[in-house]
Amino acid sequence: MKQINLARWTERNLKYLLLVPTVVLLLGLTVYPLIYAVIASLHTINIRTGEQSFVGLKNFIAIATDKQFWNALKNTAIYTGVGVTLEFFFGLGLAVFLSNRLVGRNVFRALLLTPMMLPPIVVAVIFKIIYIPDFGIINWLLGLVGIKGIIWEASVKTALPSLILVDIWEWTPFMFLILLAGLQAIPLDPYEAAMVDGATQFQMFRHITIPLLIPAILIALLLRLMDTLRIFDQVFIMTGGGPANATETMSLYIYRHGFRFSNIGYATAMSFIMLVLTVMISNFFINRLKAEEVFTQ
Amino acid sequence: MMKKLGKYVFIVLVTLLVVFPVIWLISTSIKYPVDIFAVPPYFIPPHPTSEHYSVLFLEMDFLEYIRNSVIVSVSTVLVAIVVGTLAAYSLARFKLPHNLNTHLSFWVLSTRMFPPIVTIIPLFSMLRAVNLVNTRIGLVVAYTAFNLPFVVWMMRGFFAEIPKDLEEAAMVDGYSRMAAFWSIIIPLAKPGIIATAIFTLIMSWNEFLFALILSQTRVAATLPIGVASRVTQYEILWGQMSASGVIALTPVLIFAFMVQKHLVRGMSMGAIKG
Repeated sequence: MKQINLARWTERNLKYLLLVPTVVLLLGLTVYPLIYAVIASLHTINIRTGEQSFVGLKNFIAIATDKQFWNALKNTAIYTGVGVTLEFFFGLGLAVFLSNRLVGRNVFRALLLTPMMLPPIVVAVIFKIIYIPDFGIINWLLGLVGIKGIIWEASVKTALPSLILVDIWEWTPFMFLILLAGLQAIPLDPYEAAMVDGATQFQMFRHITIPLLIPAILIALLLRLMDTLRIFDQVFIMTGGGPANATETMSLYIYRHGFRFSNIGYATAMSFIMLVLTVMISNFFINRLKAEEVFTQ
Repeated sequence: MMKKLGKYVFIVLVTLLVVFPVIWLISTSIKYPVDIFAVPPYFIPPHPTSEHYSVLFLEMDFLEYIRNSVIVSVSTVLVAIVVGTLAAYSLARFKLPHNLNTHLSFWVLSTRMFPPIVTIIPLFSMLRAVNLVNTRIGLVVAYTAFNLPFVVWMMRGFFAEIPKDLEEAAMVDGYSRMAAFWSIIIPLAKPGIIATAIFTLIMSWNEFLFALILSQTRVAATLPIGVASRVTQYEILWGQMSASGVIALTPVLIFAFMVQKHLVRGMSMGAIKG
């Protein structure tokens, strides 16, 4: 008798029970760190000794005048801004240029997906080899056309652009493939109607293609922005944030304070700021996506 | 005609640009140091060698790294797929009160946006409290949580494509909801589950930051840590470093080719059906 009741109860509440493990794990991933971050950011904590004392907003005040923090924020903004913008326009250009069906499309797609699937750490290794100043392949190729002696990620001036170039290599195919799929999902009717009305190629691109491509654009930009804002692996391996902090990003600077200097309070205060920035940007996109009803199947 | 030819030339060039660096890595990994630094460079190694690979496997314990990586990624896939698929089924099929389906789905999506560096410090302190730092279990917990948003969104999309009438007919025939789910929906969703699992496998295999912080010893260190250990020395051993890179990327490429049909879908969290 009791067993039947239990079975019935399970069946009735199934929709909630199925969600419980996911919700618990994701609360652990988000809400718990958030609470921890708020509390820890108001303390100084040494992770090795376990000593902690309440300091109020002292960490945040220190951050506001920390030149290296602003430097890391600036580098992250440049990396994200320049990288994602270029990837987007290259990807869009390629997608528009190649949108009609080509023979062997699957072969090209299979090859183009390579960089974004690679472990980021391997991408870093690949470009460390390519960028070797004296014997590297890229300097040899550039030497053939008379450009000599670029020291890529090892010079303050070229380090950040060199890393952005790696990101562009790694992720332009992603933009291309997402935008291409978006383009191919656009029906032909609006173009036919526009043609009858005598619209120019540019007008059709501006008033039909772009509006219908918005969902794909939003998704591609959102995911790319989130992944460049958190960039860590490639920078860690290729430059470690150097030379002279020229490539230090937010993630790297937080990592240094948290795990090299055991400065947990300061690191979590910075990560709290980073989270607020991230949430502001991602909410903008997610709200647009909700409005566009991209996900409502 | 010319225009079409031009397009082909163009895409072949772009593809070369994309693929060449990977080929260069493979080529470097089978060159003797002398040949690595030859000017002009050798595109095809004149004296191919497996020396760097032997060193990695025989002297550098690369089998250990590989074993840890396999155990961690496979366990992550198993847990994340089971947990995430159940949630996705609920979100795709049941009508929850207060429009909770949409709210919960987007909350799950928003957790995908959390920067790992923000989570890692609290997670580190939590895992240390229960003695799970430097264990494979600790990594599996972290990776499962990180991959859940992806699994939920992918599977939610795949379930939505299966007609509702199927389970309803089965339930009229006396199946319980879970029995209908298990014996009718799961088999139909199998291609989607496999694609999602492979993507999750690749993401866990590639992960570096959590591994760096949560697995500092040999007991749990995964392959990306092994690769990194060839780089951050005073003297970079170019041959060993590239060989370790090849070892890390080979399974990924195999799996990536297996899911290429679902690639766009996977890369866009299920939003765009490529």
